[in-house]
Amino acid sequence: MIEFLGEVVAWFADPAHWTGVNGIPNRLWEHTQITVLATSLAVLVAIPPAVVLGHRKRGGTFVVGAVNIFRAVPSFGIVVLALPITVALGLGFGFWPTFLALLFLAIPPMFTNTYTGVAGVDSDVVEAARGMGMTERQIMTGVEVPAASPIILAAVRVAAVQVVATATLGAVVAWGGLGRYIIDGFAIQDGVLVFAGALLVAGLALVTEVGMSYLERAIVPDSLQTAGNEVAGIAV
Amino acid sequence: MFKSRPLGVLVVTVALVAAACSSDSGEIDGPTIKIGSANFSESALVAEIYAQALEAEGYSVDRKLNIGSREIYKPALESGELDLLPEYIGTMLTFLGGEASSDSAATHSALQAAWEPEGISILDFAPAQDKNGLVVTKATAEELGVSRTSDLANFNGTLVFGGPPECPNREFCLIGLQSLYGLDFLEFKPLDVGGPITVTALESGEIDVALLFTSSGVILAKEFVLLEDDKGLQPAENLAPAVRTEILDAYGDRFANVLNAVSSVLTTTELIALNKAVEVDGEDPDKVAADWLDALGLS
Repeated sequence: MIEFLGEVVAWFADPAHWTGVNGIPNRLWEHTQITVLATSLAVLVAIPPAVVLGHRKRGGTFVVGAVNIFRAVPSFGIVVLALPITVALGLGFGFWPTFLALLFLAIPPMFTNTYTGVAGVDSDVVEAARGMGMTERQIMTGVEVPAASPIILAAVRVAAVQVVATATLGAVVAWGGLGRYIIDGFAIQDGVLVFAGALLVAGLALVTEVGMSYLERAIVPDSLQTAGNEVAGIAV
Repeated sequence: MFKSRPLGVLVVTVALVAAACSSDSGEIDGPTIKIGSANFSESALVAEIYAQALEAEGYSVDRKLNIGSREIYKPALESGELDLLPEYIGTMLTFLGGEASSDSAATHSALQAAWEPEGISILDFAPAQDKNGLVVTKATAEELGVSRTSDLANFNGTLVFGGPPECPNREFCLIGLQSLYGLDFLEFKPLDVGGPITVTALESGEIDVALLFTSSGVILAKEFVLLEDDKGLQPAENLAPAVRTEILDAYGDRFANVLNAVSSVLTTTELIALNKAVEVDGEDPDKVAADWLDALGLS
């Protein structure tokens, strides 16, 4: 065990593993890039419609249910099933099928949480805002979204971490990323390589989690930082 | 039902024991034979054939198919987690550090000698061979004018090559292609082991050259062109059952004969047809194996 960990340390210490296409910096960069892109696009696609639906509180259950069906589809399945589509579109293997699968992974939790958060804002607060003469749009952006921001950002944080972990699947369809170490290491039964890859993924996931927490602290209004859930009307 | 209670209990007990004895466990007493295979369809199919042939004879069999690459299933076999699996004599001999050649009999004997110290016996080899093969689409073959592997050297630095992730570490894959043929590919894309992902990549133009297997049913069906191994990189790769000597000793000749009978009729032509049924026609491997054995009167 100690010997094995020694080999892992030696792997990280080897300068050859820090250069080139298969080096740690490049794979980390690829992995971070796809995570940022997939999470950002998911935010743009999932959150605005969910805010509107949550505000209107109509037909929400149906739409949320429909979106949640995608949670049941395994990401690995999507990566492979996307191949004929990306090929037909001329987008090929590697990045695009992986990106698609990660998008499908990130959207449902963001959508669901945003809808629930916005719909659950204390109706007295919304009524008061209406009484003050705010337009529906102003209510959404000025009252409901800030009130629901702890929940929305929590979903974005969780989704981002899941995307980091799942992006490893891209290695199955000739993409790079940190999954390359895990898949290649597994194919030749190099436990050190697999472990090193797993450590890197776990490290990146942790960094993502901590980074997003700081982002939450910056974005969520001060008054809602800790027990803001009372206004949001939802228990954590 | 019975006037005398103890008698009734006895009859029921005997009936149950008789039923238990004659069900899955087969008629032959002895340890259950754990049959494994590598993680590609041909290996699993041949293992299924072995399994059904043995079951038909009355042996009790436990299948653990699609285990993984050689690095995974070899230790499993040597430690007794598996008892039997289909192997390719050339690659396995090289894996054990031996020298393989295109002479099937010599390679087979060398493999037996090399693996015997680990307690593994190799039974008779089948005429069927399955070697690594470089494959291009018909369009690529015509456009580049290639028909042999050595022709690819004229296009060094321009072609994308796709194969299993372990290919860069294999003598009969990328290592040999580079050292013996002097091939230099633009890029290597790690895909799967001659499976649907690799085939899709080749068809779609994602890769120019694919590593497939010479007995693959897909090559004929999709009109791919198998490049000739003109410098003889690939050794003899006949299929042969690798079995733990302990199991062989426990069961004796009758056991070996069942598998040898299967091997004697397994030619490359038969193997390609079997693969085509599973890989191209999408038939269920269990059924394909059963039909094949039935037709040959081996089950």
